[in-house]
Amino acid sequence: MMINDMTPVQRDRLREQQTKYNRPSFWIQVALVVVLILVPLVPSFRVMDMVAKIMIFTVVVASYDLILGYTGLLSFAHAMFFGIGAYSVALLCYHSSSPQWYHLILAVVAALTLSVILALVLAFFSLRTKAIFFAMLSLALADFFHILGMTWSDLTLGEDGITFSLPGILNVEWSGVNLLGVHFTPRVMTYYLILVAAVFLFMGLLRFVRSPVGRVLKSIRDNEQRSTALGYKTFRYQIYSIVFGSSIASLGGILFAVWLRFVDPESVLGVFSMVDYLLMVIIGGLGTLYGSIIGATFFMATQAWLPDLLKGIAAFFPDYEIIHRIAERWMAFLGLMFIVAIMVFPKGVVGTVREIIDRRKASGAG
Amino acid sequence: MKESVGWAPSLIPDSPRTTDQIEFHSIYIKKSTMDKAPAIETRDLTIRFGGNIAVNEVSLVFEEYHLKSIIGPNGAGKTTLFNLISGQYKPTSGRVYLNGEDVTGLDPASRTKLGIGRSFQLTNIFPTLTVLENVRLALQSKVDVGMVFWHHWRSYTELEDRAYDLLKQVLLEDRWRYAASTLTHGEQRKLEIAILLGLDPAVLLLDEPTAGMSIEEVPAILEIIQDIKAAHNRTILLVEHKFDMIMTVSDTIAVLKEGQLICDDTPEAVSNNEKVQAAYLGGGVKHG
Ligand SMILES: Nc1ncnc2c1ncn2[C@@H]1O[C@H](COP(=O)(O)OP(=O)(O)OP(=O)(O)O)[C@@H](O)[C@H]1O
Ligand SMILES: [Mg+2]
Repeated sequence: MMINDMTPVQRDRLREQQTKYNRPSFWIQVALVVVLILVPLVPSFRVMDMVAKIMIFTVVVASYDLILGYTGLLSFAHAMFFGIGAYSVALLCYHSSSPQWYHLILAVVAALTLSVILALVLAFFSLRTKAIFFAMLSLALADFFHILGMTWSDLTLGEDGITFSLPGILNVEWSGVNLLGVHFTPRVMTYYLILVAAVFLFMGLLRFVRSPVGRVLKSIRDNEQRSTALGYKTFRYQIYSIVFGSSIASLGGILFAVWLRFVDPESVLGVFSMVDYLLMVIIGGLGTLYGSIIGATFFMATQAWLPDLLKGIAAFFPDYEIIHRIAERWMAFLGLMFIVAIMVFPKGVVGTVREIIDRRKASGAG
Repeated sequence: MKESVGWAPSLIPDSPRTTDQIEFHSIYIKKSTMDKAPAIETRDLTIRFGGNIAVNEVSLVFEEYHLKSIIGPNGAGKTTLFNLISGQYKPTSGRVYLNGEDVTGLDPASRTKLGIGRSFQLTNIFPTLTVLENVRLALQSKVDVGMVFWHHWRSYTELEDRAYDLLKQVLLEDRWRYAASTLTHGEQRKLEIAILLGLDPAVLLLDEPTAGMSIEEVPAILEIIQDIKAAHNRTILLVEHKFDMIMTVSDTIAVLKEGQLICDDTPEAVSNNEKVQAAYLGGGVKHG
């Protein structure tokens, strides 16, 4: 077809296809992945540890964004799904005398099965009624699992948590290899496993929101009545999104447990971590997905470095008592930073920046 | 109505409502009017809101491919009747039939799937989505890709192209890439009709399609409605206050007052009906 015979829509589509690989956003993503691949070269475990956690929480927060931002449902059970993933891999590896690869696969299957069932139960029992009931039931369910994790000590070792080992090249006993002058330790191998999985899961989430399903979810958010009147059963779409998002969260939990080789009820099942998720998703920007990268990075980086930073500053002023006091209360400082971030970016970083770009485009177009 | 034939054969089953088959259909209808169930029928349809009976034992027959207008003073129950037919409300008693099938128990989404398309008295679009996307979503709902999450939505190119065609039909093609909220009120009403056409419904419920429009914009809408009617492949239910418009476009007119059906007849008979004249503030109904 000649370009002149095409409708503007077809021309737009063609242009989009042709420019797929030479847009800045594409190259930024490529650059990001390259940086992530190079991170283990930095001779600091702290940096690798932080980046690995950023990757894991990017996936978890993005999947939470799917449920909260794209579907408009406030779930308090996201940490529970995360914990289910974490515990499934921990339990399988701990209770088998020598963990094998199939245990990891089994953990994935178990985590997914359990998450799908629980998400369906949660949706069926609460979605048909009021949205607030969904929030309440998810909270109750999450709390139940938290308590289960603490009290069923025969299985979960209770509050002490489970330390476990991993199979093959992920196991700490493995001596590692030297390649091109770089020493690949089990840690580094685990890092790469997380990198591959996180990129894959994040792309899966992106595809989900850019699929026909994602468009319907968007339309439901925009005008539910119209969506229903177009023949879309909104209930079904909400279930779809909860099941998908929760399953990804459980896979994120597996990655987290694999990275720490340790789980305990407080860190992976604790209902309070929902506050962290909420902060991360709001700072990045609801309904943007990419915002989760910024939210998770900001959160992890400040948590890791803010105490040191403040202490460092305080060290310059040995005589000022007050500065030392502030430095000791770095948590309060963290809270203050969040408040500032939310005031500067009311729609989250990505949401607000997008809005500014759109406004520029609109005023430029006429 | 101009429908392009043969688009997206892979996705959309052959629709009987295409231009080359209309002729055949009208002949067929003439032969079989007697044994064919009406497109929509309501029997003793009633709904109460507390003590207030908004629709009171309304029994109406909507013949296939006819245009029946529903008129009546404000608060007569016209919109409520539409809500009962399209499923937004469940009746207190009475039934709704679509092609002779009882659909009273079905939710709005299921009724849409069965061919009842609905526009709303207050403009009802997706404000932050683009004009094209508004129509594309209607088309997507017809082709059952709504559960697909592994393909990019833009890979369904025929849906987009078809949506653009429909925008052309309502003269909105220049606005395709703008957010629907940026359209003027009149343009938004046109967009709603394009959305409805995208659903390709056998039955169209139009609730005051010209409400809030400036006078210059009304003829365009009237023309679109007349085009749809002339194609003789959809049943139309129209609620309007503009009496001239109703007199020219309707096959039959039903009059509601305080939830009750007081008259259901041809335009001439209705305009001469005493009860109808009384309902409209005792004054004679003006002809167009
Ligand atoms: N959801 C509801 N709850 C309570 N009362 C309602 C509801 N919907 C409609 N009604 C009442 O039903 C009656 C009929 O309203 P309806 O909107 O159907 O009138 P209408 O004929 O469409 O009027 P108009 O010409 O102003 O659009 C009104 O008295 C209205 O208050
Ligand atoms: Mg009304």
